Amino acid sequence: MARTKIVLAGEGGQGVQSVAKILVEAGYEAGKEILYIPNFGVEQRGGVSVAFCQIADEKIGEPRFAKGDIIIALSDRAIARCETYTSENSVVVYDSSVCTTKPTAKCKEVIAVEANKIANEQLSARVFNIMILGVLLKATNVLKLEDIKNAMEIALGKKFDAKPELRELNYKALEMGMAMVEKVGV
Amino acid sequence: MVKKLITQDTRMFLTGNEVIAYAANAAEAEFMYGYPITPQNEIMHTWCKLLPKTEAGFLQTEDEISAGFSTIGGILAGKRAFTATAGPGNVIMQDAQSMAEMMRIPFVCAVMQRGGPSTATVIYAQQETRLTCFGGNGEGFRIVYSTAGHQDLYDYMIKSFNTAWKYRFPTFMLADGYQGKMREPVTLYDPKSRGITMEPTPAALRAPGVIGVDREATHLRNTFNLEEELMEQLDKYQIDYDKMSKEVEEYLEYKAEDAEVLIIAHGIVARSAMTAVDELRAKGIKAGLFRPITIRPLPVEPMRKAVKRAKQVLFTESANGQLAQMCLEKLYGLTTPYQTLFKMGVGVTGDDIVAKVETMVQEMANV
Repeated sequence: MARTKIVLAGEGGQGVQSVAKILVEAGYEAGKEILYIPNFGVEQRGGVSVAFCQIADEKIGEPRFAKGDIIIALSDRAIARCETYTSENSVVVYDSSVCTTKPTAKCKEVIAVEANKIANEQLSARVFNIMILGVLLKATNVLKLEDIKNAMEIALGKKFDAKPELRELNYKALEMGMAMVEKVGV
Repeated sequence: MVKKLITQDTRMFLTGNEVIAYAANAAEAEFMYGYPITPQNEIMHTWCKLLPKTEAGFLQTEDEISAGFSTIGGILAGKRAFTATAGPGNVIMQDAQSMAEMMRIPFVCAVMQRGGPSTATVIYAQQETRLTCFGGNGEGFRIVYSTAGHQDLYDYMIKSFNTAWKYRFPTFMLADGYQGKMREPVTLYDPKSRGITMEPTPAALRAPGVIGVDREATHLRNTFNLEEELMEQLDKYQIDYDKMSKEVEEYLEYKAEDAEVLIIAHGIVARSAMTAVDELRAKGIKAGLFRPITIRPLPVEPMRKAVKRAKQVLFTESANGQLAQMCLEKLYGLTTPYQTLFKMGVGVTGDDIVAKVETMVQEMANV
């Protein structure tokens, strides 16, 4: 049974839950079984925000899993928090332009991306999280680019219609994010 | 009369809190009273967002004490009313819930458990199990359904109204923050399409007709002068409760028939146990699950049979044995050995259960 377990963690306000929502919406629209749990504290801003996402072909049992197949950490605190969800089969992606530490937990592979820096320099800080979505899309390889674009229309369609250049900006961020991961389906 | 939003089977991708609001509408609930508390808020938000279409009612009260008593007021007036709460809110709503027990008011409440004691976490736990079953200064004349996902939330929210109004015991749907906040696919339906008829909700107060001529006086008591008077009333309730228990008890067995290790878990933890059972069976270990759906009253006879068949039992919960304590009392006399996997306020994963059961099997082999 194919089941992909994803942990997405960052600081509150980085857009972790927004990315997770688009990802799972895309999975649902593509006919996959989905289970998504947002996990956060009482803060409006700050604090580590974690999204647990599962995408599967068959009905999903456990809502919370012990170890993720792919872990994305977007801050130092998120790296530390995610150690507990990491196993030797996990691939850990972190943003080296945000984090000052590196993931040290034993895992299959560590991938460093510079999404925050590139988003700031080449596009806009606002699409940093969409770039991360691109990274996630390519690294997991269970959904198609079209699925994600559909889900972005559901989430952001009204904003896109009001400002069509936003659609292009987001698509560009998505593609650039995908280009940051060399291997398809880690 | 409220307008029903779901008239045909509809597949949706929702959070559990949204599912509960839709389910209450499908059950033709007319009024919600509530006070905000995470992780329950979106039940209220969704209910309110739908109000222009449903033409139902909502009142945000000043706290959960008021929300509980307002719900009772709505019910006495003949409205299919409900409330929802969590954590510390559930604690302070106990006063109203006790009154509903004493006066046999068909109180309906969704409980989305969060970590405790006190404020603790806003996320998840199974630490309101005992409170929801036995809270208040009484005997726990309540019915509690423990759900394990979005389809359950829809099915049992609808059912809670009918159980409450049919038997006139306060009825709770016990879920948790994971179920409230998580998103998964669910099929919404019109209860009629499943042969479900909603129980009528006659007014207890200000009912039509002249007292003594057209109808008897309604006499709802929560105050008694003599000890014996109280016991006489409660003895009657106990008879009603025992009679009703056989009719409402529900449970689910998953590969339990030939299980050597029987896992007993309720709610969302039972789903992790199902994942674990499949993994254990793939490794050649005969594991199975017994999941009480009504945790008050417990399905005692089927549980005793399942435990008797097994070689070992594992109780697992996101609490320190609140369900286990309730079960063990009912399993008195059986000699099947048991172990526990309790994580206070933390989710139990399939991996946790697999590792524990493997150790249990190993220990048994070494004896």
